[in-house]
Amino acid sequence: MLVISCIKQVPDTTQVKIDPVTNTLVREGIPFIVNPYDTHALEEGLALKDRYGLRSVAISMGPPNTVATLKKACALGVDQAILLSDRAFGGADTLATSQVLASAIERLAQKEEVGIVFCGKQTIDGDTAQVGPGIATRLGFTQLTLVDRIEWLDLDKKRIRVRRKLEGRHEIVEAPLPVVITAVRELNRPRYPTVPMRLSAELTEVTVWDNQVLNLDVETVGLKGSATWVSKIFSPERDQGEIIGDGIKDPVGTAHLLLDKMLSKDLLAI
Amino acid sequence: MKALLVCEQREGKLLDTSYELVAFAERLGAEVSLVLVGKEAQAPQVAAKLYLADVDKYGEYSPELHKHIVVAAVLKENPDYIIFPHSSYGWDLAPRVAATLRVGQVSEVVNIVDGKLEVSLCNGKLRRTVSPKGARAVLTVQAGAFNYAGQQSGAPQVEAIEISQGSSALQFVGYEPAEKKEVDLGRAEIIVSAGRGVGKKENVAVIAELAKAFGGELGASRPVVDAGWVGHSHQVGTTGQTVSPKLYVACGISGAIQHLAGMKKSDFIVAINKDKEAPISEAADVMVVADVLQLAPVLAEKLRAA
Ligand SMILES: Cc1cc2nc3c(=O)[nH]c(=O)nc-3n(C[C@H](O)[C@H](O)[C@H](O)COP(=O)(O)OP(=O)(O)OC[C@H]3O[C@@H](n4cnc5c(N)ncnc54)[C@H](O)[C@@H]3O)c2cc1C
Ligand SMILES: Cc1cc2nc3c(=O)[nH]c(=O)nc-3n(C[C@H](O)[C@H](O)[C@H](O)COP(=O)(O)OP(=O)(O)OC[C@H]3O[C@@H](n4cnc5c(N)ncnc54)[C@H](O)[C@@H]3O)c2cc1C
Repeated sequence: MLVISCIKQVPDTTQVKIDPVTNTLVREGIPFIVNPYDTHALEEGLALKDRYGLRSVAISMGPPNTVATLKKACALGVDQAILLSDRAFGGADTLATSQVLASAIERLAQKEEVGIVFCGKQTIDGDTAQVGPGIATRLGFTQLTLVDRIEWLDLDKKRIRVRRKLEGRHEIVEAPLPVVITAVRELNRPRYPTVPMRLSAELTEVTVWDNQVLNLDVETVGLKGSATWVSKIFSPERDQGEIIGDGIKDPVGTAHLLLDKMLSKDLLAI
Repeated sequence: MKALLVCEQREGKLLDTSYELVAFAERLGAEVSLVLVGKEAQAPQVAAKLYLADVDKYGEYSPELHKHIVVAAVLKENPDYIIFPHSSYGWDLAPRVAATLRVGQVSEVVNIVDGKLEVSLCNGKLRRTVSPKGARAVLTVQAGAFNYAGQQSGAPQVEAIEISQGSSALQFVGYEPAEKKEVDLGRAEIIVSAGRGVGKKENVAVIAELAKAFGGELGASRPVVDAGWVGHSHQVGTTGQTVSPKLYVACGISGAIQHLAGMKKSDFIVAINKDKEAPISEAADVMVVADVLQLAPVLAEKLRAA
């Protein structure tokens, strides 16, 4: 049985900067990382491989340089890594992205039964949280979002019980396989690759599937298959609060000014 | 333009975000109808059509059933937008509805400008406008981004909604309470919060001292919690607590939308940050441009002396 982890390569948003003159995103020199939630999706796939002997596969849709992200997955021990890359897939929104990922999963399912598909709960760049549910709906798999624990997996009965993380409480649910699970951080602690694993990953081939392989109607993928337009990026305008003193040059004086301000507003219990 | 608002109740109480959806729809200039899986007693007090499905029959959250209920209301109302709160409920349900209706979805809308929807990206550092291409779209709305200023005194016209479709493959087993909290920020009058700007775990103590000098509680932004510097019960924001103390002091916190959503209703906000341009300045009443590790001890000492 297969366990598939969907991983996306994203810009490291903590390092994103805005050009103060043009007010646009500075793209140069920003490193790419594996979407943080997807590292948990990957880890859980590997954990199920270790524990139940499932075969673990990582898939990612993106430009050719996404190979780097899949190599990382290889170094961690996935059995197979597949890059879904084609010019026709570019500019996809979530609908079009789910379409491509789902069709790759279907293709894998023709050879070997798929039990669980793991996704991150969302990405840090697009942030829409729709791809996991989109895949589930397309494939008719049961959707389990915001999962922070797998209570048990019963391969004979083909059932799984998970815990979902909600506001101020958890929900326990059970479902028949196959399922799509979206992972939150609490699900696990991702492992790190060892040096020998990293070296052997260099030798592992990442399979590339383009649209010759997937054979999807180009009207349903990429920009053409997208139901939303994403337009301009900008820096939000804001009204600033009153700036008090000069805390860099004169912390003591500034602390005093701040205290006076708070006292005048009757904010302190003194 | 018509909007169908999917209201949310939890453990017998209508959530305030339901009114925020009304505020959002008003900003869109849309004609509103509502749908709720709940009880009539929880109905939002808004003069609009309300499709009510009985929670005893359809459960607090049974995804397939709730999906069919929303879709049934969509068929009756024929709305341009179907709008959900961006909570775990909307998170799970909205994409199911979008996929069933085969329409696009825009998640976590924070603003509307000239009819275009704004979403934040890169932790609120940037915004992007997104427009659905088709005639209809599913939206989820960031909690706290839209304030309902109207009266909660309208009378909804209730129409009961029943569905016959489908049982769910998903089997609900039960709820578990979240782990015990160390602090209850919800009750605090003064909260002093530490952000990633404090630099390292040891420095959190400096901010905790300041909180103590104020007679308040220690809060934190998410990276501080994720790094394990303080427990999760200290976290303020969309995935932590929503607070509205008399005084909120943000120390070394940039002011990402997810943090702002949790504290911007505070009566008075002080931000201490090295960077004058940090987004927190938008929410702050008073901004102190300083190294918080220098300022906090001085301020704590002055407070103790006062
Ligand atoms: C700022 C911004 C705003 C956007 N807004 C919208 C919008 O409102 N509506 C819309 O339809 N599209 C939007 N898009 C486009 C959308 O981000 C991309 O289509 C993306 O490919 C999928 O969506 P996501 O990144 O939001 O993923 P999410 O749905 O947040 O991702 C959830 C999970 O799905 C899996 N996954 C997602 N993408 C891939 C991939 N390429 N390969 C493998 N696994 C993947 C991962 O496991 C991930 O953790 C936006 C993009 C940006 C940069
Ligand atoms: C789905 C989702 C949910 C989230 N939920 C939450 C949530 O509930 N709560 C939350 O807080 N975040 C949440 N986040 C994360 C959020 O987007 C931000 O990443 C986070 O709030 C940033 O924390 P920060 O301000 O402490 O760190 P940063 O953004 O790194 O900011 C650090 C700030 O400290 C300042 N600084 C640095 N050194 C000093 C110094 N010596 N003195 C003074 N100032 C200094 C810097 O100028 C900067 O402004 C969520 C994100 C996502 C995607």
